[in-house]
Amino acid sequence: MLIINCPYCGPRDQSEFSNGGEAHVKRPDGSKEIGDREWGEYVFIRANPKGLFYERWVHTHGCRKWFNCVRDTSTDEILVTYKLDEKKPNLNDFKSVVKTPSGEPEVGSGNFTVEK
Amino acid sequence: MKSINLKENQFIQFHQKISFKFDGVKYFGYKGDTIASALLRNNINLVGRSFKYHRPRGIYTCGIEEPNALVQIISEYSEPNTRATIKKIYEGMEIESQNRWPSLENDFGRINNLFSPIFTAGFYYKTFMGPHKKFWKNLYEPLIRRAAGLGKPPKDFKGISNHIHHNVDVTIIGGGLNGLLAAKSFINSNYDVLLIDFEEQLGGIINNSNKISLIDNKEPKVWLKETIQEIEDSKNIKILKNTLVTTYNYINHLVAIEDRFVGSKPIEGKVNSTLHKIRTGHTILCNGHIERFLSFQNNDLPGIMLSSSFEKYMCRYGLAPSKEPVIFSNNSNSNSLVYSLIKAGLKPKAYIDSRSGEGIEPNLFDLIRKNDVPLYTNSQIKGAFGNKKIEKILVEDSSGALNEIKCDCLCLSGGINPDVHLFTQSKGLLDWDEKDLTYKPSKPFQPTITLGSASGQFNFDNLNSDVNEKLKTFKVKKLDVKLELNTNTKYHIEKLWEVSPQKKSLWAKSFIDLQNDVTTKDIRQAITEGFDRIEHLKRYTTNSMGTDQGKISSINALGIVSDLLDKKVNEVGTTIYRPPYAPLSFSAIAGRNCYEFYDPERKSPIHSWHLKNGAIFEDVGQWKRPWYFQINKDESMHDAVQRESKNVRENAGILDGSTLGKIEIKGEDALEFMNLIYTNSFTKMKQGSARYALMLGEDGMVKDDGIICKISDQHFIATTTTGGAATVLGCMEEYAQTEWPNLKVFMNSITEQYATFNISGPKTREIMKKAFPNINFSNEEFPFMTFQFHEFNGIPIRILRASFTGELGYEIYIPSNSAPKIWDNIQSVGKEFGLAPYGTEAMHLLRAEKGYIIVGQDTDGSITPIDLGLSWMIGKSKKDFLGKRSLTRSDTIRKDRKQLVGIIPSNKADKLEEGQHIILDKEIKSPVPMLGHITSCYYSSTLGHDFALAVIKNGHSMIGTKAYASTSSMITTGVDIVKPVFYDEDNKRLVS
Ligand SMILES: [Zn+2]
Repeated sequence: MLIINCPYCGPRDQSEFSNGGEAHVKRPDGSKEIGDREWGEYVFIRANPKGLFYERWVHTHGCRKWFNCVRDTSTDEILVTYKLDEKKPNLNDFKSVVKTPSGEPEVGSGNFTVEK
Repeated sequence: MKSINLKENQFIQFHQKISFKFDGVKYFGYKGDTIASALLRNNINLVGRSFKYHRPRGIYTCGIEEPNALVQIISEYSEPNTRATIKKIYEGMEIESQNRWPSLENDFGRINNLFSPIFTAGFYYKTFMGPHKKFWKNLYEPLIRRAAGLGKPPKDFKGISNHIHHNVDVTIIGGGLNGLLAAKSFINSNYDVLLIDFEEQLGGIINNSNKISLIDNKEPKVWLKETIQEIEDSKNIKILKNTLVTTYNYINHLVAIEDRFVGSKPIEGKVNSTLHKIRTGHTILCNGHIERFLSFQNNDLPGIMLSSSFEKYMCRYGLAPSKEPVIFSNNSNSNSLVYSLIKAGLKPKAYIDSRSGEGIEPNLFDLIRKNDVPLYTNSQIKGAFGNKKIEKILVEDSSGALNEIKCDCLCLSGGINPDVHLFTQSKGLLDWDEKDLTYKPSKPFQPTITLGSASGQFNFDNLNSDVNEKLKTFKVKKLDVKLELNTNTKYHIEKLWEVSPQKKSLWAKSFIDLQNDVTTKDIRQAITEGFDRIEHLKRYTTNSMGTDQGKISSINALGIVSDLLDKKVNEVGTTIYRPPYAPLSFSAIAGRNCYEFYDPERKSPIHSWHLKNGAIFEDVGQWKRPWYFQINKDESMHDAVQRESKNVRENAGILDGSTLGKIEIKGEDALEFMNLIYTNSFTKMKQGSARYALMLGEDGMVKDDGIICKISDQHFIATTTTGGAATVLGCMEEYAQTEWPNLKVFMNSITEQYATFNISGPKTREIMKKAFPNINFSNEEFPFMTFQFHEFNGIPIRILRASFTGELGYEIYIPSNSAPKIWDNIQSVGKEFGLAPYGTEAMHLLRAEKGYIIVGQDTDGSITPIDLGLSWMIGKSKKDFLGKRSLTRSDTIRKDRKQLVGIIPSNKADKLEEGQHIILDKEIKSPVPMLGHITSCYYSSTLGHDFALAVIKNGHSMIGTKAYASTSSMITTGVDIVKPVFYDEDNKRLVS
């Protein structure tokens, strides 16, 4: 559950927004010849990393504007939001501190909140 | 147990009497009393029967950690499992005890206690296995359900709750000493602060005990009053009282529940609880600590309670539950109870400490000696005994000798734990403190700060420096508060989890979880059977799985397990504390999203007419649409639909199409945009003409269809399916912003601004002429797929000549508020031509006869326009549109894709059904290769038989061949595969 900073409206509750998947995926120009593979990758293939991720969101129950953000998929934290025509931030500027939201060991049941 | 009223205080005044009923008997308490304190005042301590063994149970604590005293509030929608220790009484309150029959004193279920040697851990798993599967469902489960459990579910729930959102910089949870100090630091700072406390009055330990004697050289209560005033006066701090934080989620998201009717009966129709959803920058946990109990034989007898709870009853409620309780402790926390009792002129019957003489605080020694309190050091209670209440205890003293002490109350202290529930919910890590024998917060996972005993600081000596150090990052005022204490300052504890019983007996019980009736023996047995991992053990024994989550006992269980396994406690680990901290009612979570607000109903402007004219409605998305109209009560749906459709074919029918999505697209580049969104080309289309259009996903599959009206190259109006309107608008907006921001185009939903009437049938032209005499409806002036703007009696209307039935048809678009008037007018002029309303079912039948698809019924997201035989709708000369490239992918040009065909039974009398599989062989021999399935199926009185649309593999080339439709009874029906058009193939009726 997050507060998302809409670049047009300011900080708003997550329930006003919808997720739009990976950002900066360019739609191939339809007027040019493209192979099945390249087109298929645009349509079907998206990255799914654990950690920092460029992502698109839309302020559905607000200004209805699309924008981009950097989200840490392991903590759900949205680190920065920016307009579509703005340059994408460098991921190295952010530290992805934790691997898992619960701080559990990399291997195991995840049921131990006690450090081993 | 004989209680005694002490002095009045600011919370309890003895002139404010309140009457209430417990199990039908009337009692008196005072304003400010909880159910528990009021019952104790009336010397009632037997308040319920236990979960499994139906053992008598009393009031064990004075707060939210209560495992036993759960009651049903009859006067509040019969709310079950209410903690008697926190629920305040009010005049006329009706309360009942739980899990007993026929009465609390003579409970039949107590027979379970006799059979208890067999009801051990895993009993249900092991016992109810056979002889047949059905035995569980029909016999065992109903029996167990009746016997076990706590309160009865309410029959009727009317509680109303609302939700409030907060977005603050700092949230302080707990308004005790440390919470107040933290809040004090933030007074008049630039931070937005929320201070939340569960009680009606802030102050925590200051109100609940006599530990502190002076703060800043003032009486603690005087200091408290002044400090609260300062905080209340500060503009940046908001205080929420009677509010319990139940949940601590990721990214500092807190959920708290506020009781709006503390100490009074909820008013029907008024919001009785508020769910606060809090987003905060930092969370400061000052939620204190919880006292543990100790395990020994019959440690569940009514009359046994925690020592700090006894002290809380004295300090906060002006009530001593007993005049001479025995105290049994293994730590220094119970010192202040001795002090409080003596201060009140009472005296403990005995003080029993499992610690050796050296461990015990010298000032406690002095106090006990001076007042002649019998003292047992290095001693343990072997068991408590009595009938439905504690009557005597057996003490093993340091010499090993057994002493019997008669008593009516026993106060226990097994040590204290920081209340780590919220901290671990936030995914903070804990560390085992071997000296204080408890888990303490160590590494926070979020911007979480813990202060005071919530952080494991059980002493007060570092009070100022701790707060100042931890709040350093905020650069707020530094504190310098002077504290003086009545009792010892250093917390000291010696290990004791369990005392073994004097005599070995199958019936002897030392409880480790009071609410779920788990004994220390169950823990031993679970470990013997191999459930030695703490999470397994918890589930096998149900230890700490009650509504109290084992707040007073779960650490004891870890201690016992670690001793049994000969491991350190931190090697055993702890089970996860899951939200909510305390039960949260479903109505609070639902808030206002219930009943008519759960999923709003959308109604067309003609809705009231439909109601008056026998409409039976169907839900299409959120819309209520007339499904069919009943001319009388006896008319069946089949008859109504056949009558309506026949009337459209022979005379004329009118359908309320207002629910269709309508989107207006405007802008310099609107034409180019529309060419990119839809498959069709709109470039050569004349102004004032309309076109049936398809919208694809990027995968080339049909997503929506509709009619596009071109007003000019800069202005279009598109209709969408009823259910697809929001998605289509969203898709248009997305592409306009993300892929083609260079195009100057705007779009807006006008669905609710315009009503739509679809009139069709051979007599439609006559009706339209009469209804709109100023308009020329001749085929030459108003050809098929054109539209015109007109004014009728001052109302601007748009008429489109189009049809979804295959008959001559018009769609009239009218501003919603004028629509009923025009609808009525059409009804009256249409009467002589036999005009009748028809519903969605007849519409579906009529369009299927004509072979028109419904997106979502005949397509399922895996069907391309080519599969539908709609290649003619694809603007092949266009460079690009949504999904264009996908139409030439190897998978979409496959020959054996499922394609749309028509199906009629070879024997016209045979029936078909939606969803039937189409197969090639008459005989069903598994495995049966499936060609496809029927997507739409109707009986047509025009054709005189059943007909269907289907998607089947390689369907287009199978037209003219025969196949079979399988039925659920394994019989097949012979069918003919035909073109998906059953009526007026040349469109003569449509265009004439
Ligand atoms: Zn916005």
